[in-house]
Parts: sequence; structure tokens; C-alpha cells
Amino acid sequence: MTIARHDQLKANGSGFSRRSFLHQVSAGALAAGTLSLRDVMTLQAAELRKQGKSVILLWMGGGPSQFETFDPKPGTANGGPTEAISTSVPGIKIAQGWDQTAKMMDDIAIIRSMTNKEGSHPRATYQMHTGYIPSGSVKHPSFAASIAKELADPKFDLPAVVSVGATQGAGFLGVNFEPFVVADPGSLPQNVATSVESTRYRRRLGLLDKLEGEFAERGGDVVVENHRQLYGKTSKMVLSSELKAFDISDEPQSLKDSYGDNTFGRGCLLARRLVEQGTTFVEISARSSQANWDTHQDNFERTAENSAMIDPAFATLIRDLKDRGLFQDTVVLWTGEFGRTPKINPRGGRDHYPRVFNAAIAGGGLKGGQVIGASTKDGSAVERDPVTPGDLFSSVCRAINVNPAKENMSPLGRPMRIVDKGEPIKALFG
Amino acid sequence: MKQTFSHAGVAIVISCLLAGSATAQNSASAQMSAAEVAAEVDRLIQKELTATGATPAAISTDEDFLRRVSFDVAGTPPSAREVTLFGLDPGRGKRAELIDRLLASDDYAETWARYWRDVILGRATNMRAPFVNGSFVSWMTESLKENKGWDKITTEIITASGDVREVGATALMFAQEGVSEDIAGEVSRIFLGIQMQCANCHDHPWDSWKREQFHELAAFFPRVSVRPIREEMRLVTYEIASVDSRFDPQARFAELQERAEGMLRFFDRNKDGKLTKVEAERSPLSRQFDLLLERGDKNKDGGLSLTEIKELEFPMPPQVGRGTAEHFMPDLSNPSSPGTRTDPKFFVTRATAKTGLDDLERREMFAKYLTSTSNEWFSKAFVNRMWAELTGEGFYMPIDDMGPERSASFPEVMQLLTSQFIRNRYDIKWLIRTIALTETYQRQIRTVEPGGTPFASATATRLRGDQLYSAIVKAMGGENVSRGNRPGSMMAGQGMYGRNRDPRDQFSLLFGFDPSTPQADITGTVPQALFMMNSPQINGQIRANFGTRLSQLVQKYRDDQDAISELYLMILSREPSDKELKICRAYIADVGNRDEAYEDLMWSLLNSSEFISKR
Repeated sequence: MTIARHDQLKANGSGFSRRSFLHQVSAGALAAGTLSLRDVMTLQAAELRKQGKSVILLWMGGGPSQFETFDPKPGTANGGPTEAISTSVPGIKIAQGWDQTAKMMDDIAIIRSMTNKEGSHPRATYQMHTGYIPSGSVKHPSFAASIAKELADPKFDLPAVVSVGATQGAGFLGVNFEPFVVADPGSLPQNVATSVESTRYRRRLGLLDKLEGEFAERGGDVVVENHRQLYGKTSKMVLSSELKAFDISDEPQSLKDSYGDNTFGRGCLLARRLVEQGTTFVEISARSSQANWDTHQDNFERTAENSAMIDPAFATLIRDLKDRGLFQDTVVLWTGEFGRTPKINPRGGRDHYPRVFNAAIAGGGLKGGQVIGASTKDGSAVERDPVTPGDLFSSVCRAINVNPAKENMSPLGRPMRIVDKGEPIKALFG
Repeated sequence: MKQTFSHAGVAIVISCLLAGSATAQNSASAQMSAAEVAAEVDRLIQKELTATGATPAAISTDEDFLRRVSFDVAGTPPSAREVTLFGLDPGRGKRAELIDRLLASDDYAETWARYWRDVILGRATNMRAPFVNGSFVSWMTESLKENKGWDKITTEIITASGDVREVGATALMFAQEGVSEDIAGEVSRIFLGIQMQCANCHDHPWDSWKREQFHELAAFFPRVSVRPIREEMRLVTYEIASVDSRFDPQARFAELQERAEGMLRFFDRNKDGKLTKVEAERSPLSRQFDLLLERGDKNKDGGLSLTEIKELEFPMPPQVGRGTAEHFMPDLSNPSSPGTRTDPKFFVTRATAKTGLDDLERREMFAKYLTSTSNEWFSKAFVNRMWAELTGEGFYMPIDDMGPERSASFPEVMQLLTSQFIRNRYDIKWLIRTIALTETYQRQIRTVEPGGTPFASATATRLRGDQLYSAIVKAMGGENVSRGNRPGSMMAGQGMYGRNRDPRDQFSLLFGFDPSTPQADITGTVPQALFMMNSPQINGQIRANFGTRLSQLVQKYRDDQDAISELYLMILSREPSDKELKICRAYIADVGNRDEAYEDLMWSLLNSSEFISKR
């Protein structure tokens, strides 16, 4: 993290320091003109509140069974053999296999009343990444891209959005907010390392720049200018000292063990490092670690395997963010595209079920240690406080001071809100 | 920019009206050859350039023309040898001959097939759309080789059914997951150049289309369905099928409503104009009569009148891709209601289809309306798209949003090409030949002042992923750039269905873009730049030892001027300018290590904006 950012973060986390703030605003901003000191203070304070805010999405692709994660129904036909275990919060029980997460329950809010209509993987995945259902006329920006557009620091060397595993793109928001996809977290991403030493690399860039001048003069000036910007941005990243955030080798072995020696665990550790460095949105896909929640067959064996991988990483991520003083500013969201059928099918599996599913959310100043909403006894319906994907996204927005009603203009000239419909979940905000 | 165009457009329309437009009438009456039309296009453009005082750029050099037309027609750059031979050829007709030779090549059919794949799948709502990739490209390649007319190709796409891995023409139906509104939006955009999909939910804000007209278009497609085909529980493929109205309860119901008059006449024994429960006992309505009565008997007289039967609603379709017998325009104020049944009608010519037609009848009828010579939008959309793809700018921009309330730049040229494309029976090769023969196409690139007259010069545009892949392969002497690695894995948004493709397709995942996007919006991505700068696939070839093409070149040509020239020919298909030679020689001297200097030089040329552009 650059020193300036770190200071702002500190100032933000531990109350507002007028002195350091005035120092930053400096003579320049005031001399520029028309704003009174008070106006500038207000504006800058709003900006400060946004800085350092980040989101980490733990993507449970395939659709995790609510019965085998955070809404177990032991002793019922639909619940199957899955037991419930106690957590650090009296009265809150979650499914067996989530022992580490259970210990962090004070910091986590579980939502048991998620509800939606899309029951096909691609459509629901699209919706849970963009807030919109697919449409031929517009490529909706991912939620990550929309947030990065609001929060990311343009001077930051690394990409604002990073994803471990494939994800949704930035749609019409364009190249600056495209996710940078990392296949193998923990080491430098593909093609980032130069094939020659950096002095020679700079020398090559210098030669390139000279030769570009010729094409610009011959009439290619527009493409040359675009190209210069892209290469400037990319080579800044390639040469940046901040790249070391991608390399987890200097982390203590005990911490790496605690996250888990697999793609998902390393991805979560990478997420913490990137957030610390200034990345706005990091997604870690469970599928990147071969954890597939689409359990049409052998639901109980397969969810147990998945949980064994996700549980330690999820719990360690929260603890690590807290240890680093980042938890207050980082929202951690655990969700998939839908839930699974209450009824266990003849193959010991559960099928798609968007009507009721669960999610977990933590950090960002949100109130943990609680359960939001409930499913009915047999798990077939939402009993109270239904939460739509739009409500969930609105809640994330509120936690990071992004206005969910903010509109971006689509290429066809239609203004589109960051979150189409939805209200923040009141209980999450103290 | 846009404003200037429309001003120019208005001026041209007015001058056209005053002049009585003799040429336009001529062109509409007789079929003209590619060369005749090309000459007439140039004359019309020159007239306008003279009127606005714009000086056209000079005709491009043989080197530039050869590279440009090779990329455009065959998707690949010329070899160094071809550049030299073409330059030495004294023949006056060599450019026209080259165009014909390229049009006859297999590369022509393959690259344009991939172009259309990107157009059709570029806006897929179905994330599984890549399933149909391979079969679409093979089918389209064959179609282009045979030079099927654009009307024939379009008809096959509109009416396609069957296994998506066998019937490539199913691509569009599959890409839109059989959803009638999405199909309608894409069909209109691609084949008519009209963006109607906003009218899905409201009357179009600035065009004159009404919401109802959009849904009448969608009503040609409700029965399209996408069926997963499984073998022993495992999903193997999908097929585009038709909802069979005999087995679809909704369809049967709709048919009953169609036949309500006859049914009432037959079963309404006391002729009081309504069907009662007793009377309905032997009718097809008997089983659900109680339910129907409860829902439909608006005046509570214990029977269903003709109007009441016709107004009966049935529940909305259950799932995406399943298809329904009829199309319903949703009721926006009451989204849970089934909406208004809407029958097929083509908004351009106002041609209607008989109600209750089966899926194929509907789609065949629509294809007939769409490709009819009386529907000029069909020809206009294709002409505008091809002109823009070849020259870098359309008469209408964006190319797939032509109106109706837009004006073209150079409307006379547009009109001439449109009517002659129809006259030449939608012959795709004819159109490409015509455009490539124009001086307008063959001009040099030049900086265009904002608001300047278009087509006074050519524009540098970005190569499509497919063209760039060929360029890299050629520059490296035929090596497969993606072997052993997956550049595609860096691409976001491809989901889990984009794996296991050939290297060219992998490369397309990283470098491809929707070809309907205006050039100004295509600016490249960070992973693309990283690939060109640092990937082992590229850097493995930038070595002056290890038997690469570069090493052969450096050893063979000990004189730097020769070596630099060969390198430029190999990568940019042209000789270096004096200034470039000077820069390169100074660099070589400066580095002091010849091999290293050439490696840097090759790296710089491969990473230059010229390498990834059409000039």
C-alpha cells in the first residue's frame, strides 16, 4: 500500500484527522478557487469515506445447498443426514463441516431468506454478477465493474478488479474496469513477468515509442494514441513494485496453512493482499479450486468436500482482515447463483432451487452475529423477511458508500442504475 | 461527428431532389457490373468532396493496398514474397485481378465465416452459445464458398432447426436461447440494421417504432424451443426444435380460441349466444369448463359468450427456451398477468401472417418478408455493414442502428449500392468486389479532422482477432502461436463453456471483439497488451538464435539495411521508410550487440500499433 493511502485508511478507520486532511488538500485545491474551505472539507470527507473500501466475493458456483451450509434442518426428511453445529453466537447453528466459520460467527450475518426466479446456471450466474438478467441489447457491467468505477483510484498501478477464475466482464463500462483474471493465485499472473530484464524492457519500450511516431505521421495517429495509453497503463503495471502483492511467498507458512493449500485458499490470501494494496474488488471462484456446488448426485459427500475447502479459507480471511485492520472497510460476501431443492432426489442429490437460498456477509461495518430471515420448516419457502439479489447488492453498496441508484449510460443511451431494484437490509446496519 | 453527417446528409438530399436524381433512377432500372458501380460510387463521392472543398487522399501504394485488401478479403496479410512480386507486376489490371484471386481463395470463406460467427454470437444471451461455434463456422464457410446469396443464407438462419452441433445455421436461435423477444431484437439489428429491442418495454424513445410492433415481430418466433439432448443423464448437445401445438396445452387452448365461432355455433344448442356447462359437456372445453367459467365469465351469467372465450387468458410460459404456442406482449402494469396475445406482423412492410401457423411456417413466412426485394432495409443493412467493415466507417454509424430517423452520409451512394446489390441478387462477392474496386477504398490513410468529410481518405482500423492471429502466424513463419498454452484462460466472461478449442479460437477469446462495435470503442485490453509484450508464445519467436525465423534472417542478411528491410516486410508487409531505417540503425549501433538489437526490433514491430491495425 502506498503511504498516502495507508494514512488515509488509518484516518478513516480511527476517526477523522483534520490536520492530516488539511495537509492533503493543500494550498492547490483551495487556491484553485471558488470553493470555500467548508465546501472542500465536505467534498473531501465524502471522498475519504469511500477510499479504502473494498469487496471480496467468495463465489460458490453451481449453487450451494442451503441445508448443507448455513440453514441445516437436522431431523427432518428434507434435511437429510446433515447435523447442525453450534457457533460462537448462542442460538445460531450452521451445518456440520463449517467449524472454523462457526467460530467467527460474531462477525458474520447469515441470510436464510434469499429468493429469486432464475433457475438456470448461466442466467442466474449472470444475474448474481450484474444485478440484471441477460438481454441481447446490452452487456450489463458486472457489479464489480460498477463498484470499481465509483471507488477505484485511477492512479493505482494494479487492476481495480481481480478475479481468481473466470467471471463476468465490465460490459459497457469498458476496459478500465475489466476484471483481471488470475488462474493460479499466489504467484505472478500469466504474462506479467517480462521475458527480459527491466532495463532492456524499458529500452524496448523506448524504441517502440520512436517507431510509433512514423505510423502516427502517416495517418495512424488515432490508433497510435490509443495504443500508447494502453501500453502505458500495462507497462506501468508490469514495472510496478506493487506487483509483489500477487506473490504470497513471503507470507508466514502458518497463515498459508490456515487458509488452505489449494487454489481457493491461496486466492483468499491473495484477496487480502490485493485489498491491502488498493484493489477495489476481488472475486474468488470456488470452481477455480474444483469445488463444484452443483450437487445433483451424491449431495452429502460432495458438499462435505467443498465445505472442507471453503470453511477454513472463509474463516481465516475474516480473521486476517481483522488482524490487518482492513475488516471495517472490506465487505466479504459468500453466495452462489441459487440454492438446492429441499427434497432429496433418488440419486442422493439436490436439484436447482432459486426460491430459497442462503448467503453470508461480513465486514464493511455490517452487523455480524445475526441471522436475517428464515425459511419454512421444510425449507420449501421463505418464511419471513425475503431478500432479493437487488436487496443484497444494495446492502453491499451502502456498506461501501456507493449509491446504488447511480446511473450509467448504456451505449443505446439508456440510463441504467448500478442496482436496478432493491432496498438495503435494515438489520445489517447498526 | 454525427451532427456534421446529418447536415451533410440533408444537404445531399436537397441537392439530390433538385437535380432530379437521374442516376439513381438509372441504377434502379438496370443491373450494373462491379466496375461500373465502383466508378459511379467514386463519381458521386468526388462530387460531394468537390462541393465541400475537401481534397481526397492519394491512392495507396501497392504495398499498402496489398496488405489492406488481403486482410479485408482473405483475413490474412501477404507474405514478404507476395509484397515484392505485386510491386514488380507492371499489369494495369493487377489490383482487380488480386481482388478476384482473394475472393476465390478458401481463406475468404473462412475468415468471413468467423466474422459472422462473431456478429451472431457477439451478443448471445445464452452463455452456452459457444457450443454452436464450430458447426456455424463450417456451415458458413461452405455457404460463402458456394457464394450463396445473402437472402439464402439469411433464410437458412431464420428457419434452422436441429442439433446445434450439426446444423450450424441454428446459431442465432441458439444464441438467443429460443426467446422470441431476444430473437426479434437480434434479427432486426443484424438483418435490418434497426435496433428495436428498446421497444420491448416501451415505445421507442426517439424512433417511431411502437412497442406493439416489436412484439408483432417477436410473434414470428414463439414456437422456437431449445432442447437439451441427454445420453444417460449426461448432457451431450442441444437442438432447436418447434413447440408442437398438439401436445402443448397452451397451444391447444389457443387453437380452441381460434375456432371459438364454429364451436359455439355447434355446441350452443339453444342459440342464446353462450356456452353453458351442460352444453359444453361434449365440447373440447368440457374438462376444464368449471375453471374456465370461473375465470372467464365476466358478466356472471353462468355461461361463456364468444367474447368471453376469446378473452380467456392462460398462464405465462414456464421456462426460458421452452417455447410457447403464441406470443404474448407482457402487461407492464401487471407483470404477473399473461399479457396480450400478439400475432405476427412485419413492421417494415406491414405484411401479416395467418394466425396459428406452426413454427416453421411462421419462420419461413418471415424469411420471405425479410428478404423480399420490396424490403430495402435488408439490403441496406448488409451494404452498410460491408462498406463499414472495409472502409472503417459506415454510411450510418453505429452500423446496426440505421433508423428510421437517421440520415446517411452520402445517401446517393448508399442508394446506388443498395439497389445494385438487390439487382445482383444479393451476391456477396459482387458487393465486396465493388467496394474494393473503388478509389475511395483504395485511398491512403490520413488523419481525419473531427467533423471532416468521411471517405476522402481511408481510416486505420483495428484488426479483428481472427486477422491478427493470421498476422502473427505469418510473421513467425507458420508457427502456431498458442500451442501448449491457453491465452484464452485470461479472458473474462467466457464461463465454463469456452474450453477445448483450437489455438485460433483460443486466441479469439483474448483478441476477439463484437464486429458491430464502432471502431472508436475498440481500444484493446490489458491482457492483450500483456500477451503481445510478455507471453512465451510471442517471445519464444523473438530470439536471434535457436533456429527461429529471426535467427535465419539475421544470419542471412549481414548488411543491416537488408536485414531491417526483410524484418519490416516479414512483420508489416512493407519496406521501412528512410527515417525508420535511421532509427533502427542508430538503435543497433547503440545497443552494440547485433542479435540483441534485432530481438528488440522485432519485439517493437510486433508490439506496434501498426502491426495490429489495417492501414
